[in-house]
Order: sequence, then C-alpha cells, then structure tokens
Amino acid sequence: MPLTVIRSLENNLSLKAKDFLLTMQDFFLFSMRAFFTLPKLKRYWRDFLDQATICGTDSIPIVLVSAISIGSLLAIEVGNLLEDFGAKTMLGRSTSISVIRELGPLLMGLMLSARFGSRNGAELGAMKISEQIDALRAFGTDPVAKLVMPRLAAALVMFIPLTALSDFAGLQSAAYLAEHYHHLDPGIFWNAVYPRLGPKDFVVGFAKAPVFAIIITLVSSYNGFIAKGGTAGVGRATIKGIVVSSGLVLIANFYVSKIVLENM
Amino acid sequence: MIELRNITLKYGEREILKNVSLTIKDNTIKAILGPSGVGKSTILKLMLGLIKPNSGQVFVDGTDITSLKEPELYPIRRKMGMVFQGNALFDSMSISENLGFFLRENLKLPEAEVQERVAEQIKFSGLEGYEDQLPENLSGGMRKRVAIGRALIFKPHMILFDEPTAGLDPVSSKRILHLIRTLQQSSNLGAVIVTHIIDDVFSIADHAAVLYQGEIIFDDETEKLHQSEHPFIRSILSDKILEL
Repeated sequence: MPLTVIRSLENNLSLKAKDFLLTMQDFFLFSMRAFFTLPKLKRYWRDFLDQATICGTDSIPIVLVSAISIGSLLAIEVGNLLEDFGAKTMLGRSTSISVIRELGPLLMGLMLSARFGSRNGAELGAMKISEQIDALRAFGTDPVAKLVMPRLAAALVMFIPLTALSDFAGLQSAAYLAEHYHHLDPGIFWNAVYPRLGPKDFVVGFAKAPVFAIIITLVSSYNGFIAKGGTAGVGRATIKGIVVSSGLVLIANFYVSKIVLENM
Repeated sequence: MIELRNITLKYGEREILKNVSLTIKDNTIKAILGPSGVGKSTILKLMLGLIKPNSGQVFVDGTDITSLKEPELYPIRRKMGMVFQGNALFDSMSISENLGFFLRENLKLPEAEVQERVAEQIKFSGLEGYEDQLPENLSGGMRKRVAIGRALIFKPHMILFDEPTAGLDPVSSKRILHLIRTLQQSSNLGAVIVTHIIDDVFSIADHAAVLYQGEIIFDDETEKLHQSEHPFIRSILSDKILEL
C-alpha cells in the first residue's frame, strides 16, 4: 500500500476520532443542560403533560402488545422445556423472573426507543431544519428547557408505570397460556410466582426504567438538535437516534442487572 | 447600534468570514448583499450571538456579546427582532399563538396585555381574520408578515431580515419592502437586510455592504455602489440578481 494512502487513512481516522470526542463532549453538555433545567418544570408543566401523554398513555398499546406476545411465547417455550424435566410447576417461577427482571423492562425500552425516540428525533430535527430552534434562541427562550427537559421529566415519570404494566401484562399472558396451553392449574402457576419473588427482582426491573428514560430521551433529542441537511437530514437524525438509543438500552439492561444482582 | 469588529469565522477548514468589520447604526436600514452561500445569514446569527466567531468581537449597544453565556444573551437578543428566511414559525400553533408565544414565554405580562399586543401586530400585518389559521394555510407573503409581526412583539429597536423577499411574488415582495420602510419611518426602527436581490437594496436600504469571498468589499451609502470600480459590484449592477 503506498505511503500516501496510509497517511490519508491515518488522517481520516484521527479526524473521525476527534469528531467522535467532540460529539461526546457536546452530548454530555447537552445532557447536563437538560438536567440543570429540571427545576423549570413548573413553568413548562403543559409541555410536560403533553409529553407524558405521548410517551405514557399513547404508548400503552404497543407496550401491551409486546409484553403479551413475549409473555405468551415464554410460557410456551419454557413450559415445553420444563415438561421434559417434569418440572412444569416451576413455570410461574421462571417466567416471572424473566419478565420482571429482564424482558418486561427491556421490551418496553426498545418499543419506546422506537416510538418515543423516533418522534423526538423527527420532531426536533424538523424544528432544527426549519430554524424553529434558532428562533427560540433568537427570541430569548432556552430550547433545551422548552423542548428537551419536559420530554426527559415525562419519560422519567411515565416509564415506571409502563414497566409495571409491561410486567403485569407479560405475567398475565404467561398465566393464561400456562392454563390453556400447558393445562397448568392457575393456583400452581401463581403460587410459584408470588412467594418466590423478592425485592431484588423488582429492583432489577424497575431500576432500568429511569436509565432507559434518560438514554432514549437524551439520545433521540440530541440527534434531532444536531440534524442538518434538509428532510434527508431529519431522516438520518431519526434513524441514528433510534439505533444508538436501542443499542444503549441493550447495553444498559445488562449492566443494571449485573450491578444490582451483584450488590443486593 | 451593532458593530462587528474583525470577525473571522471558520466551518472546519473553510473560512467563511475573513476579518469582517461592519457597523449598523440605529434608525437606519443597512443591506448586506452577496451571492448565495457566502455567509450573509451567518452575519445575522453572529449579531444575535447564535454562533460565536473564531476571532473578533460583536458589540450590541456597546456590550461585547462574544464573551457572554447563553442566558446572558437572552435580554440582548430581545433588543433585536429576527425574521428568518423560512420564517421559522411554529407550525403547530395558530397565527395568534405564534405572535403571543414569546410574550407568554419570556415576559410576565398579564394575559390581557399579551392579547392586546397580538391584536396590534395582527392589525399592523394586515392579517385580521386569519388569527386562528395555522401557518401552513397562509400564502408565503402572509407568513412573512406573521414572522415580521412576531419579530416586533418585544418592541425591538433593530430588526434583522434574512432574505425577506426570497421566494415571494413581486407584489408580495413589494408589500414586504413597504412594510419594512414603514416600520423604519413610523417606529424609528433600524434594520439589517440580508439579500441577494440588488433591486431590494436600492429600493429600501440607506447603507449597503457587499460581502464577497468572505470579505466586505463595499460598505457605504447605497447610492455610492454605482461609483464602485470593483469588478464583482460592476457585474451585479449589470445583472441585478445574484443567483450564483
């Protein structure tokens, strides 16, 4: 390979590394600003309620659909597996741990990353492209306080009940399938669920909700805020927001479980 | 008064503005003329502190805004109104909500006063009957007038116009230019107009500056443009419009 090609490759890599570090710095400052403006929540309570409706109430159907499907699937597959060992009565135990600790919050996070995150990226990206965000700044309004902070606060508040809903729907669907597919008595199923679920299981599951709320809101909003290049740029910002936040949700899911389980 | 002193601005390796100095006095209309993409709109954003220069200073009424933090800039920005090229109206809000938005947002005025100021701007802009319409339902000229009304809502002493007649039909353009002139005469408002249409400059501006390849090549009374010997200015005077 000629030396000039190697040098240009090296230059490109160092430019990309520099760009990445600058973006990380910018994202960190953006996130700090979003948190520091939380005391202004009272002023933006209408925006907060709007966002709470969007990420909370309006997201209930998609959270229910994903939780019910995964609960049902889990009951069928795990039930079949346990049956081979003659341990079908443990179906409630295994399903509840999977749903409450991992799959309930994770699926909710991924669904909201797609639904709430894409909306944030597209809406804020379109506002950036059409100079509406510049207009806010030009007329003396902090765009992060007005547009990002209410989204963050709404997600922090609404993701917890959505996690509970996801857990509940997942378990109910598993119980239904246990009874009608595996012909397991509901008493046996629920008896394997409740007495054995400890505070640790709930902490693992519910600790993920605020972490996901922060990741999804800030990543998608930041990508909207830096959108450029017309409508194609809005599309790119939206996709990047979903891809990055979904990836981070998966990584965070692992680490939250690991940290809580190792320390409780 | 707004003053740009030795401003240099780079985007990556590309130098957009090279040692640019400009002064805009109160109660005058100054046009900044130049081809598309030369950095004219960037100058307006520098005046508002929306972007920071790599070097040089921007003074607004004697205050150097280049060193100010974002919250410190808000009261200074309210001294100026900005009319964006694409109007930047909030598309989910009605016309009256757009006009009243920043009053409700930034000034703790009683609602009756907000309504009064909004009604005043609707009347001034000739938009009676359209108060509850969304911006998408208005023509380009009407949207521009809403944007001008919004820029006037804080009663600023200077308005910055980014290509105020771009994309408008000749009648709407004439009406917008007339509106700007009326504002200057009736309210003693200063204005900075960024444009690439030379006829607009001659019809409205007291002073003109020409930006070419990142440098100011002319900064004087508009009529003196005719005396300039610079080849670029000679060419734009003959072509009348800069679609470069």
